[in-house]
Amino acid sequence: MKHTTVVIIGGGATGIGILRDLSMRGVKAVLLEQGGIAAGASSRFHGLLHSGGRYAVKDNEAARECIEENTILRRIGRECVEESEGFFVLTREDDPSYEKIWVDSCEKAGISAAPLDVKDALRLEPNLDPDIRAVYRVPDSSVDGFRLVWHNAMSARRYGGEMLTHHQVIAIDQEGGRVKAVRARNLITGEEVCIACEMVVNAAGSWAAQIVRLVGLDVGVQPDRGTLIAFNHRFTSRIINRLHMSSDGDIFVPHGSITILGTTSFKADRPDDHHVPPEDVLRLLDIGEVLFPQLRSYRILRAFAGTRPLYISNGSAAGRAASRGFHISDHSEEGLEGMLSIFGGKFTTYRLMAEKLCDLLCSKLGVTAKCRTALEPLIADPSPEVLEKARKVFPVHGAELAANRLGDAFPTVVERAEAMKENTLLCECEMVSRAEIEFVANDPASTSLTDVRLRTRLGMGTCQGTFCSLRTIGTLTECGVSFPISPAENLRGFLQERWKGLRPALWGIQAREMELGRAVYAATLNLDGAKHEQEK
Amino acid sequence: MKHRNPDKCVACSTCVVQCPVAEVTSKFLGPRMTGPASERFRLLNAGEDESLSYCANCKNCNISCPQGVDVANINMLARTRYSREHRPSFRDWILAHGELEADLVRFFPSSLVNFGMVNPLTKFVLDAIGISKKADLPTFARDQFPALFKSYRQPTLHKKVVFFPGCYIKAYAPETGIDLVWLLNRAGYNVIYPENFCCCGTPLYTNGFEKDARKNAAVNLLELKKWREEGIPVLSLCPSCQLMFRSEIPIYFPELAEELDGKTALDDAQEFILSCIEKGELPLAGAEQNKLDVMYHAPCHLRAQGIGMPGLELLKKLPGVHAVNADAGCCGISGSYGFKKEKYDIGMAVGSQLFRTIKDSGIEQVATDCGTCRVQIMHGTGHPVAHPLNILRRRLDTTRR
Repeated sequence: MKHTTVVIIGGGATGIGILRDLSMRGVKAVLLEQGGIAAGASSRFHGLLHSGGRYAVKDNEAARECIEENTILRRIGRECVEESEGFFVLTREDDPSYEKIWVDSCEKAGISAAPLDVKDALRLEPNLDPDIRAVYRVPDSSVDGFRLVWHNAMSARRYGGEMLTHHQVIAIDQEGGRVKAVRARNLITGEEVCIACEMVVNAAGSWAAQIVRLVGLDVGVQPDRGTLIAFNHRFTSRIINRLHMSSDGDIFVPHGSITILGTTSFKADRPDDHHVPPEDVLRLLDIGEVLFPQLRSYRILRAFAGTRPLYISNGSAAGRAASRGFHISDHSEEGLEGMLSIFGGKFTTYRLMAEKLCDLLCSKLGVTAKCRTALEPLIADPSPEVLEKARKVFPVHGAELAANRLGDAFPTVVERAEAMKENTLLCECEMVSRAEIEFVANDPASTSLTDVRLRTRLGMGTCQGTFCSLRTIGTLTECGVSFPISPAENLRGFLQERWKGLRPALWGIQAREMELGRAVYAATLNLDGAKHEQEK
Repeated sequence: MKHRNPDKCVACSTCVVQCPVAEVTSKFLGPRMTGPASERFRLLNAGEDESLSYCANCKNCNISCPQGVDVANINMLARTRYSREHRPSFRDWILAHGELEADLVRFFPSSLVNFGMVNPLTKFVLDAIGISKKADLPTFARDQFPALFKSYRQPTLHKKVVFFPGCYIKAYAPETGIDLVWLLNRAGYNVIYPENFCCCGTPLYTNGFEKDARKNAAVNLLELKKWREEGIPVLSLCPSCQLMFRSEIPIYFPELAEELDGKTALDDAQEFILSCIEKGELPLAGAEQNKLDVMYHAPCHLRAQGIGMPGLELLKKLPGVHAVNADAGCCGISGSYGFKKEKYDIGMAVGSQLFRTIKDSGIEQVATDCGTCRVQIMHGTGHPVAHPLNILRRRLDTTRR
C-alpha cells in the first residue's frame, strides 16, 4: 500500500495543474490517469488560448477570467504558447448590430479589442474573404495542449509530484464517512494498486460523473462532443473568430504547422465519444468557407472530436448555451468527507481552477502555503549554449521545436544527439529526430508509439504515420526500447488511430495519402491480417 | 511573396528517389524535405536550413512528382526569400552575372581573356572565392553573337522569325546561333535579333538575385510582347531560358506574366526547324550521307518542359546519322551549380552515370542542347560535344564539307 496526502484523479490540464499547485505548496500528491497524459479533452480542442472575446457578451465573468489567465500563461508557459494574436471578423453573414455589443462587453471584461482597417487585415491575412466588413485584434493565442500539460507535469515532478498513467480508478475506499484510500488497476499489466490518502480530488473531466458514482453519488456533468478539423498547413497566421454569437465552425487556429477549425456541439452519450460523422466535417466546411473562401481547396489532415465536460446544475442550459465557468463540489455537503470534485471550466482557465480547488483543499488540510503557480515559469528557457549545440545536431527547423517540446529534458536529448553518429529525422513531416524519439520512448510514461506521438508530434503531419511509424518502430526495436505490446501490435494500434481521423474526411488529396498508407501497410506488409486467410 | 501551398505533396518520396543530388550526398535532405515539408514550417517562420542551398534546381523532382507538385520552385522561392535577408556571396554574384562579365570582356581579345581565366593564378583566386579550381569554366568566344550576327549577311527573305539567343550562345557559343540563322535562312526565314533581349534571369534567380532577375524579365517580356503583337514567332535554343519563360516567370513574377495573359513561353527553335523539314521548307535530300553515330543527352530543363526531345528527333531525321538517347540522368552541372567549390564533387558524382554511359557506348560524338551540359560532359568524358544544330548544318552546308 502506498501512502500520500492527496490522490488526484485525472491527468488532463486540471488534474496535472492541481498536482503542480499542491506540489509547489509542499503537499504530497499522487495523480492517477486511466490513459496517457492529456489524452482527453486537454488534447482534443482547438488549441486556443482564449482572450475571452468569445465569451465577452454571454458570460462576462468567464471572459474576465480568460484574459487574466491568458496573460499569466503567456508568461509562465512561453514554450507552449504562440503569441499569434487573434482577429474577430464580421462577415457578410453576421449581424452588424452585434459589433457594438461585443466591443462594449470586451471593454467591460478588460479585453483589448482594437479595430483594424479591413484592407490592412487582408494584407496580414490574404486568404480571408475580401468581402469581410469589420476586423478587431484581440490577444488570442495558440496553445499546445499536450505540451502545456506535459510542462505542468515536469514542473510538478520537480516538486515531488507523482503520476501514474494507464491506471484506472476502480474503487474509493471509505471509513466512517471519510475517504481512506483509492484503488486503481494498471490497464497494461493488470496489477492493482491501493493508495492510502487523506483527500481525493476528482478532476476527471468528462469522466467525473463516473468517478462520483464510485462513492454512490451523482453529479450533473454532461459530456458534449465537439468535432474539429486539422488542415495540412497554416493558411492563417492568426486566430480567426467570427464576430457573432458563439456558434459552430467559427474559429480557426493556426497551430504549429497546421490549422484547426472547429467546432460542433452535440450532447454525447459517453465521455469517450470521439466518433466523427462525415456530416460534421461537411458542415464545418460550409460554415468555414464564409471566412476562407478557398477552404475546400486546403487539404484536410484529419478530423477529430473531444468531449467538453459541461457542468449542468439543475435547470440550467445545455450545449453551446451552457456556462463555461467551473464549479467545485465539496462532497462533505453530501456526507462524504475528504473528497472534492471540479467540473466544467475550460482549458484557458485550468490554472485558476487548480488554484481555487487547492485553496479549498489546503484550508481543509490546515496548510497555509499560498499558490505560486502564476509566478514561476513551467520550465526554464533553454540556455543559448544548449540551443547553439542543438542547432548542430538537430536537422532543419528542428532545434527550437524540440526545445519547446522537450522542456526540462532538452539538454539531455541534445547530449544524446551529440553522441550519435547522425541524428536523422524519423518523422520528416513534423521534424522529429531520432534522439528525441528514443528519449521519449524510454520514459516509463510511454507505453506505446501513440504515447510517443503525443509528446513529440510523431506521425501528426502530412503523411499521418505512413512513413514515420514503420521507421520509428524499426529504430526503437533495434535500439532495444521495449513496450508492453509487440512491435506489430504497436504499429497496428498507432495506424488505426491515425486512420480513424482520416476516415471522416476521406476525399481529395488525403484519400490519395490514405491509399499510399494502405498500400504500404495492408498490401506490402500485410498488417491487416490477410496472413491468417492464407493459412486456412 | 506568397508561399506555395504544400498540400498536394503526399510524402510518397518519389522525388527523393529521382533527385540526382540526394542520391549522392546527405548534405541535401532531398526535394520533399526542403520543398513541401519545410514549406509548412516556413509558414511559421521557423528559419531556413543550409540544405536548401544544395538544391541544384534541375527540376527532376517536378518531372517525377505524381501529384504535380512544383517542388523545385518551392525551393527557389524559399531561396529568394532567404536571400532578401542574407546577401548572397561574391562568388554567387560572379556566377549569376555572366552576361555582364561577357559585356565587359568583349573589348579584349578572347585569347587573352581566356588565358586570364585558365591560368593557375586566376584558378587560385577563383578557388579562394569559391569557384572550384577543378572545374573547366566555359571559354569566351572570339567574337560574341551580337558582333557575329551584325556581320552576317542574310539573303532577302519575306518570312520572319525572331531569335532569343540567351547568354550562353551570346558569349560562349555564338557559332550555334549562327548555325540556326543559316538553317532558318535556308528554310526561307529572315532572322531578327533584337539587341534589347538580355539574360533570361535563370542564373540570377537561382543564385538569389531576385531584383536583377525581375529587371531582366521585365525587359524581355516587353520585347516579347512587341513581337507577339506583330505575329512573329520568337525562337530560343536554350532549354533553361525556355523553362524560365515558360513556367518560372509566371511563378516568380506573376504580375509581369499577366501583361502577356500568362502566355510567356518562347518557341523552341529546333521544333521550328523540324516543322520546316516537315513542310518541305528545309529539304534534307542534299545532306551528307556518311555514317555517324551520335550519343544524345537530354538536358534536365528540356525534359522539365514536357515538349519531347526535338534535338534528338532532328538528329534521327538526318540520313546516315544513328542517334541514341543516353537516358542516363542529369549531367550534374545545373547551370553554375557544378562550378561551385563545395558542389563540384557532387556535380561530378551526379554526372558519373552519364559519363560512364558515354564512355562505355563506344560512340565518339555526343550531342546536347544545353551549353553548360556540353561543358560538363566534355569535362567528364573528354568526348567532343556538339549542339544538334551544329551537326545538322555540318551535314547540309556543302561549303563546309
